[in-house]
Amino acid sequence: MAENVLHLDRVTMQFGGVVAVNGLSMDVNAGEIVALIGPNGAGKTTAFNVITGVYAPTNGQVDLFGSPMVRNHPRGKMKKLYAGEDPDAFRGQALCPTPDKITRLGIARTFQNIRLFCSLSVLDNVLIAKHMRARHNVFAATFRLTPRVEREMRQSAEALLEEQGLTHLKDEVAGSLPYGLQRRLEIARALATEPRLLLLDEPAAGMNPQEPHELAAFIRQIREKYNLSILVIEHHMDLVMEVAERIYVLDFGKLIAQGDPAAIQDNPDVITAYLGVDEE
Amino acid sequence: MKKKTANLISLGLVAGLFLVLFLLEQVMDPASMLFVVLKKGAIYALVAVSMNLLNGFTGLFSLGQAGFMLIGAYAYGILTIPPEARDAVYQYFDGGIIQFALPVPLALIIAGLAAAFFAFLIGLPVLRLKSDYLAIATLGFAEIIRAFFQWDALGPITNGSNLLRRFPTFSSVIFPFFVAGLCIAIIVLLVNSSYGRAFKAIRDDEVAAEAMGINLFKHKQMAFVISSFFAGVSGALLAMYQTTVQASAFKSAMTYEILLIVVIGGIGSISGSCIASFLFIACNEWWLRFLDNELFIGTWQVPLLRTGFRKVVFSIIIMAVVLFYRQGIMGDR
Repeated sequence: MAENVLHLDRVTMQFGGVVAVNGLSMDVNAGEIVALIGPNGAGKTTAFNVITGVYAPTNGQVDLFGSPMVRNHPRGKMKKLYAGEDPDAFRGQALCPTPDKITRLGIARTFQNIRLFCSLSVLDNVLIAKHMRARHNVFAATFRLTPRVEREMRQSAEALLEEQGLTHLKDEVAGSLPYGLQRRLEIARALATEPRLLLLDEPAAGMNPQEPHELAAFIRQIREKYNLSILVIEHHMDLVMEVAERIYVLDFGKLIAQGDPAAIQDNPDVITAYLGVDEE
Repeated sequence: MKKKTANLISLGLVAGLFLVLFLLEQVMDPASMLFVVLKKGAIYALVAVSMNLLNGFTGLFSLGQAGFMLIGAYAYGILTIPPEARDAVYQYFDGGIIQFALPVPLALIIAGLAAAFFAFLIGLPVLRLKSDYLAIATLGFAEIIRAFFQWDALGPITNGSNLLRRFPTFSSVIFPFFVAGLCIAIIVLLVNSSYGRAFKAIRDDEVAAEAMGINLFKHKQMAFVISSFFAGVSGALLAMYQTTVQASAFKSAMTYEILLIVVIGGIGSISGSCIASFLFIACNEWWLRFLDNELFIGTWQVPLLRTGFRKVVFSIIIMAVVLFYRQGIMGDR
């Protein structure tokens, strides 16, 4: 049995009266490519934001490599939602690390609406992701006392750009790149943080019908090369069916189905969620 | 190889600049307005660059610069007045409680460290605020500091609301150029280092920066403390230039002047801040002074010229810059 990388235990995220994610439990095992799908507004990105620490969940727990990373328990206003549950099951020390700490633990992500450092060069974008792991303090960095650290950062950043075919653009301003290359740069930047789990938020958004096919090959390729586990949110069914080994389906914040691609394709609940119910 | 030649060229340029300054001082009247502009311009260039480090490179809109300059100026003054002069300076406080004087370079560094220390304390609560709120909070802090340093109970140290004077000063224009130049060089190195890139990442997109493992608070705090260190040093230089220090002079208007220099020079441009600083000081102290004096040609009085008209012209220039030249002199954003 493969090592468990990410485990979500009844994660709930509530914004006022809106329950964006409702009791989501899921797993990602080592070396797996898992997809999280669902119609618009199903809570997929919210789930991502809980995993990466952007939101502290209203309830539930996230484990990384078997040890708790994010944990919360119901207080006050959440009692109603968990009326049937045993509150002691959630008791314990609440953990809500900031996104930078989670990145440090080995989770990297891309964003649905690409978030590059637009005024900086392509190379700088990748170097920034290397900053976290560089072992030098501000004094040493300012006075260039550790040229080896700087050189290593630069070499590995350039290697990543090379792999993405962006080397010839490394001095261009990131914001000026065409959309497709910005996506690639964002992936290179995420890989530069040396993750063990990569979260891709709609990597195929805005692609033409042919590109997702290449993307699927690329995703498999980086998994092999970097020994990654990958969790991907996607709308593009072609890509999901091609690349994912297991699929979780969310609808209105709730998990409605899980299983391998073939099972999901035939699951009546999923078809209903995507196509709507026939009123007649 | 290419980098080495570039380094040599810039080294040569710096040496040339100092040589020119040295020669100018030999040839020209030391009371010339040119030297006033050069001295004050160098000091303002340093504080403008330090503000740019925050506003332009880290995206923190802080308005506390005058407060940190004040701390630096006082720290320098308090630590360097020679013991034999203290009785006269601290005449209402029995000569004060500090009875030693530190050498100037050490006092300059301590002036920076004092400002940095205050910045560290203030940063703990304040840097969790976003943009406009941060500006208001830092502005408020600068005002509090100004009042605090005039507090009578601190008189034995700060001389209350009285002047600090008779500390070592400089006469040559080389000194402020050297100190400010050194500090600006360090800031340039910082901005181009890995930490500088992290600051720029925070400016461009906080969410993405955090997702790349950059600890927002730690890096903001770092930028704030370093910027304040250099503001403190420039405050000490300003004290030396003015030969006296009084807390009431470090008004928020001073912060606005510096902000103006940063905006005119271009937010995020160090060379812009330096050039704009000299231009601003030259206009303010020299070139536009004639606007403040009534002028008669024969018996005809030139209209509009009177005390305060300089400020009107200044305001118009600034509006023109902001409206038509939004990126500033050297800005690229």
